Amino acid sequence: MSIINITLIVYILASVAYIIREIWMSAGTKWAAVGLLIVAFCFNLTLVITRSIEAGHPPFSNLYESLVFYACCTVFIYLIFEFTYKFRIVGAMAAVLSMLILFYATLQDDTIRPIMPALKSNWMLIHVVTYMLGYAAFGIAFVTSIIFLVTKPFAKKQQAAVSAEEKDVSPINFDKLSYKIVAFGFPFLTLGMVTGAVWAKKAWGDYWSWDPKETWSLITWLAYLVYLHTPLVLPKMKVNKSKVSVILACWLLFAFGVVNFTFMGLSYLPSASDSEHIYGSK
Amino acid sequence: MKNVKNSQPVIVSNTRGNQSNKAQPERKDSNKLWDFFCSVKLAVVIILVMVVACILGTVVVQEKTLDEYTARYGYGLATFFRYTQLTNVFYSYWFSFLLVLLCTNLICCTIKRWRNTFLQTGFVLTHLSLVLILLGGVIKFQTGVKGGVNVYEGKSVNYFLTQQLDRNGKLDYVKKDLPFSIALDDFILEKNEPKFQLVSFVKSSDRQKTLEVKVGKKQRVPNSDYRVFIKDYIPDAELKQEPVNSSDSPNNPAVYVKMYGSDDVLAEGWLLANEQNFYDDKKQNLRIEYLWMPSSQALDKAAASVGNEKPTVSVAISDWMQEYPLELNKTIKIEGSSYAIKFVQYAFNYGDKRPLEEQTPENPAVLVEINGPEGVESRWVFEKFPDWDKMHPARYKEVKITCSGFTSTRLAKNTVRVLQSPDGKQTLVHISDGKIVETVPWELKKKHAIAGTNRQVEVFDYYPSFDFKREVMRKSDEVKQPAVLVEFDGPQGKMEDWLFANSQYATWYKDKNFALVYEATGDSIKHFTSKLRIVENGQTVAEKTIRVNDPLKHRGYAIYQSSYDPEAGQFSGLQIVKDPGIPVVYSGFGALCFGVIFIFYIKPFLRKKLKKGVEE
Repeated sequence: MSIINITLIVYILASVAYIIREIWMSAGTKWAAVGLLIVAFCFNLTLVITRSIEAGHPPFSNLYESLVFYACCTVFIYLIFEFTYKFRIVGAMAAVLSMLILFYATLQDDTIRPIMPALKSNWMLIHVVTYMLGYAAFGIAFVTSIIFLVTKPFAKKQQAAVSAEEKDVSPINFDKLSYKIVAFGFPFLTLGMVTGAVWAKKAWGDYWSWDPKETWSLITWLAYLVYLHTPLVLPKMKVNKSKVSVILACWLLFAFGVVNFTFMGLSYLPSASDSEHIYGSK
Repeated sequence: MKNVKNSQPVIVSNTRGNQSNKAQPERKDSNKLWDFFCSVKLAVVIILVMVVACILGTVVVQEKTLDEYTARYGYGLATFFRYTQLTNVFYSYWFSFLLVLLCTNLICCTIKRWRNTFLQTGFVLTHLSLVLILLGGVIKFQTGVKGGVNVYEGKSVNYFLTQQLDRNGKLDYVKKDLPFSIALDDFILEKNEPKFQLVSFVKSSDRQKTLEVKVGKKQRVPNSDYRVFIKDYIPDAELKQEPVNSSDSPNNPAVYVKMYGSDDVLAEGWLLANEQNFYDDKKQNLRIEYLWMPSSQALDKAAASVGNEKPTVSVAISDWMQEYPLELNKTIKIEGSSYAIKFVQYAFNYGDKRPLEEQTPENPAVLVEINGPEGVESRWVFEKFPDWDKMHPARYKEVKITCSGFTSTRLAKNTVRVLQSPDGKQTLVHISDGKIVETVPWELKKKHAIAGTNRQVEVFDYYPSFDFKREVMRKSDEVKQPAVLVEFDGPQGKMEDWLFANSQYATWYKDKNFALVYEATGDSIKHFTSKLRIVENGQTVAEKTIRVNDPLKHRGYAIYQSSYDPEAGQFSGLQIVKDPGIPVVYSGFGALCFGVIFIFYIKPFLRKKLKKGVEE
């Protein structure tokens, strides 16, 4: 069995362990779940490293490589949060998200091709790594938003029920958590965009030329910029507080859609043939 | 934070809040305007409108000529796009207005919320950085130039060309002079060393996968029932083939034909009924064909007809299929679908630059234009490689197009048909100018004179089951033309074959659902560099070898390596850019990066340390 299949299976196991942990809430299951996810991360990292050694270039020259790296970043960012905040059930979905990304990678052409001259740049390295970390954080925020929207109708009941039990299982504010994660990811997105512009200046002579990929990365940035500013606006417009968090959560789902479109969907645009940066258009 | 400091006293009085406003009704209107420009609400609205504009700017193709818009969207929509400037969204008046509005909003907002505390550093930096970046953009737009020029090795240029759309929406080149000249002393194009890979293809699931080439390795093709075992590898292989007859039953009939001039053998070789079944003699406009017929009745019928078929193109969309005669430049609307197709051009030998009449049907191909919901796709289809479009990227994958009938179409002035059937009937037919002039039985090793030419034809040998005895030789130990010996294993048992990297063909497994290709990953470009010299008044003032990612800068101009002559590698494509706004934009970039890091990482950290709730 190839490493990629093993990684997929360990992701599923980790996900199951997180669900079991959510039901039993024992310390043993907690460490089993986190442990499995760390193992999956190590496997995924091995994939990234062996690929870059085999190919002889940083592993983001095509969609396959980028997806494997993306999956790796998603778990990495998740694990950072796991040790910072109480995350619990989010882990199950984060593991599934990474698994899906990796599975999508297995459907791609994994041929090693020589890297084109414009991609040989240190700026490109920083650009991709920061972007992927940003995207990964938004992936986690997407997960927390889904959980927020799904659990919202039960949240009040749960709160009442829980307050009687142990303190340890206090409900998590998934909407606030989403905001914190986006706040963590947004600087990475900004850095990614700026380093991308500097790299474009070095390689193509212009830091910004309204290429579809550039334009869509701006759209992504603006979408999260709106998200970060709306909490300042909506309360002033006398929108109900619980409605505000629902709107914000929905906006995050939409924004993550934009992220994925920017990442993978641009070849469907009619203007794609004019772009120099779109996967699959060469 | 009540300690409001500001250099502009008028504004301070304005920001004091609504209570003071009521006392000063004459200022109410200006206050309203000020509040409008300061509001976060306006910012969010502008950003949302920008998002929509950006989406439109990628959905509608940008900066094309008027003709292209008309062809793509029709006249009405094209005119609408032109008037609303949707053809050039990012440089349109309304988008510029949006940016000016955003800038005003950013400045007002920053002034209003200015508290002059350390914790606010991030807020001020990020908001002003955007103003800087936009300002840099304006400088670029007003004073910058961007263009390109091709320079031949050993030559120099003192100008470059910029592309512009004129008022009528036509593309125009404008020549711009440089205050110096650029000499290209040397241009080096470095290619990657060839690498080889083994690619598997499963037809039913339409999946390609690269397999590892390691002798002794058994591997399963992912998500399929096929297994591949690499048995041997030769870095520089040569295939030696010897024709043999493998059995007496006619599995693969072939004849060895000799063609004589007056006395000498002019040409000789095998004609295979199922593969290469003809030979063309250009000088005499003579073709020799070998046809195997299933019975003597069929043979007689074939011998009596000239058999001039026209080439056809068949189009299939899922279960539907239709054959069309090959008529050039006629648009065929496919009923029940949103496609229309047109045959633009054909060749008897794809890539052959000679006129059609001189081409032999080695690789017949038709260029088809498919007009569908996502625009026009041009696709070459090949008679001999019906699955080509399946294995290569195509916009309309569901439309499957094949062509046939090219090889049997072309009648030379004289055609000699060597016909044979399993019951031993052997007939030779001579067709001249589309008419049968002679029908005689043929025998092995007997010459037949072809009337009207000075040629004689002899069937020298006959193999009912033609086959090759193949031997793979090791030529050297350098990696030149590698080959791998692969064992295929699947639902129909095992088979074994050598795959050569220089072969264009895929090797198919028995069930015709699984194939392997061993191929070079393409001799792509590793580097291209230009050795440039800047000359002013006959004096060399600067020198640099530029490459992609590493330009030469001189007097505000940056000279980039952008392209090369794809045919002969003779000239170097340079991009020349002058952008005085760069320092402004880059300082904006720096401020933006530091600003966001401050807001989202440093500030929360400091807040925690100070344990104070500081409101913005």
